[in-house]
Amino acid sequence: MAATTDSGGVAALHRLKSTDPPLYLSPSPDLSHSARLACQHIFASLRPFTPKSPFDRLLADGFDSEQIWQQIDLQSQPLISTLRCEVKFFEKHPEEISKLFLKVSVGKKEGKDGKSEELEGLELDGEKDEGFDELEDGDEGLEGSDDVDDEEEERENEEESDGGGVDGVEDRFLKIRELEEYLEDDEAREYGIKKKEKGDGKVAKESIKEDDDDEDEEDGEDDDGDEEGEEDDDELGVLGLVDGDDEEGGDARYEDFFGGKKKTGSQQKKTRHDSSAGDKQSGDMDFDDKKKENRSTHEKQLEKQRLKIEEMEKANMEVKTWTMQGEVTAAKRPKNSALEVDLDFEHNVRPAPVITEEVTASLEELIQKRILEGRFDDVFRAPTLPNKAPKERKELDENKSNKGLAEVYADEYAQKTGLVSSALTFSDEQKKEASVLFKKLCLKLDALSHFHFTPKPVIEDMTIQANVPALAMEEIAPLAVSDAAMLAPEEVFAGKGDVKEEAELTQAERKRRRANKKRKYKDEYHACDRSFDESSGLNQ
Amino acid sequence: MWGSLSLRTKPNFRPLKPHEMSDGQVQFRRIRVPWHRFTPLKKAWMEIFTPIHEQMKIDIRLKLKDRANIVELKTRADTPDIRNLQRCADFVGAFMCGFDLSDAIALLRMDELYVTSFCIKDVKTLRREHLSHAIGRLAGRGGKTKFAIENTTKTRIVIQNSDIYLLGSHANIEIAMHSLCSLIRGSPAAKVYPKLRAVTTRAAERF
Repeated sequence: MAATTDSGGVAALHRLKSTDPPLYLSPSPDLSHSARLACQHIFASLRPFTPKSPFDRLLADGFDSEQIWQQIDLQSQPLISTLRCEVKFFEKHPEEISKLFLKVSVGKKEGKDGKSEELEGLELDGEKDEGFDELEDGDEGLEGSDDVDDEEEERENEEESDGGGVDGVEDRFLKIRELEEYLEDDEAREYGIKKKEKGDGKVAKESIKEDDDDEDEEDGEDDDGDEEGEEDDDELGVLGLVDGDDEEGGDARYEDFFGGKKKTGSQQKKTRHDSSAGDKQSGDMDFDDKKKENRSTHEKQLEKQRLKIEEMEKANMEVKTWTMQGEVTAAKRPKNSALEVDLDFEHNVRPAPVITEEVTASLEELIQKRILEGRFDDVFRAPTLPNKAPKERKELDENKSNKGLAEVYADEYAQKTGLVSSALTFSDEQKKEASVLFKKLCLKLDALSHFHFTPKPVIEDMTIQANVPALAMEEIAPLAVSDAAMLAPEEVFAGKGDVKEEAELTQAERKRRRANKKRKYKDEYHACDRSFDESSGLNQ
Repeated sequence: MWGSLSLRTKPNFRPLKPHEMSDGQVQFRRIRVPWHRFTPLKKAWMEIFTPIHEQMKIDIRLKLKDRANIVELKTRADTPDIRNLQRCADFVGAFMCGFDLSDAIALLRMDELYVTSFCIKDVKTLRREHLSHAIGRLAGRGGKTKFAIENTTKTRIVIQNSDIYLLGSHANIEIAMHSLCSLIRGSPAAKVYPKLRAVTTRAAERF
């Protein structure tokens, strides 16, 4: 079956090749049929090298050109990227090409399928084999250059040429591949270039899963998926879905620098079961663990900062120590904890002075000095102001009286009757003595002024005082002018208030004055008459 | 007949002598001499005897018996005043209380003076040292409180164990007694003095 189709396909290819180009302009069912067959053949031949493609064979019957093209594209895209890597590798290491050819005879049949059996680092091998197989197939298809398959063939040719130049032993070949992988990894790490090698199916699955997630994480997932695919998927020559635009590595993305935001594929599955937000961190930490060796200084700094921030936030969230809490009773803090802490509080009292020898010595010195000076700072009672004359206090005689009672009464009687002059009391004697002394003193003082101090005696006389200003009295200006002799104001004018002259009066006031005068006159007149009448009445 | 009657002249009786007043009987006074006054009496006998016998004209004699000495006073025929005997008796009695002669003599001269006595226990019941303290308060240090009272109130005070004798006029005795009672009750002398002073100044102002 396969052979027939194969032959049919080959024949179709030949047919297509032989036809003239102008015939393609007009649609013909034969050409299309043959074209479809050729495509199917090529697809089938390439199928072994693309285990991850969803199509087992090209579905060409009854399909549109666009649909067919899409199928081919699905198959060829990962293949192309793989081939490109291989070409680059061979560019750098041309000696490998010869080795490749040597190896071809030995390991031709190996690893077309079941690439997962090989170890992790041997992905390249599978891909190399693939390339070689393609090379073989490609040789067949080199002659037929159809419009549909042109690009594919060219790519295949490139890959074949590259692949054919190496004569390598299997071990060497593997090593070469390994090297290349490592180099690419390094490049990707440093420059943020996405890695080309991916595991097929897993990545595809992941990409589908990614579509379910947020679009922001898609790229990150891709990166993670790539890496996972690298390590977990040992399938060789499996080209996962990669954004072809990023292959050149011109656009470095956030994830390349700061690591993927999302977890890797397998861990993501696990955490999906848990479905907790914190697992994201674990994923990140896993990611970090992987990336620890391959970090830039900036990334390290940022990592440190992040850790610090986490620490501080954690500390803030915890319960504070008792010293930082506000009012703390003894029950709330651990036993004897106040002893360990330096407590600072205000002392309202001055601390007691420490008595040292120096202090006592200074005090004693001061005392001695004071004693020598005689300056004791004694407090004396302030003398009370004599607000009034001191009372004469009759002092109680506390001695036994010399006189007998009879004598006392006799003396009293004598004093009462006045027969005997009374003896002066103690205070009277003192007064007398004082007055005598004062008189003596006055006499002496008067003698100093020759007794001229005595003022003239006042003689009350009748004098006439003229209300004349003092200046008029004496023509010569007197040394002292006094108006004591003048009339007092009351003597000048005795009246009250605001006295107006005739000229100042208003009409109403003038009338009032006249009315008062008339009233007074009338009263007097009538009083006189009355008295006259009365007197006459009496007589009558 | 009417003319012949004439009024009799009033009879002119001369006053009776004290001797005659009692129908010629002699009046007697007996005063016991306490043992602690016997020696002072013997010492001051002439001073007692002279004014009584000479001026009061009262017979006086001391009767000595073992353990009971008595001073006897008797009126004479020429005793001028009937009250002399009582005065002499008071005088001798005052001396027996413990007063000095010069103080007691005032009794002979003045009628207004009395001798009063009271006990401490009349004022306040005091025992043992409280009694001693009260007596001490009454006297004062060196007797100064007693003298102060005596001088201000013109009285004489004799403190004899628990008994107190006062000699003076009635009002003065009251003042003195008041002060003494307050002293007995416990007030210090400093508190008693101002009252005394006030009283005496008032008295002095009055006269």
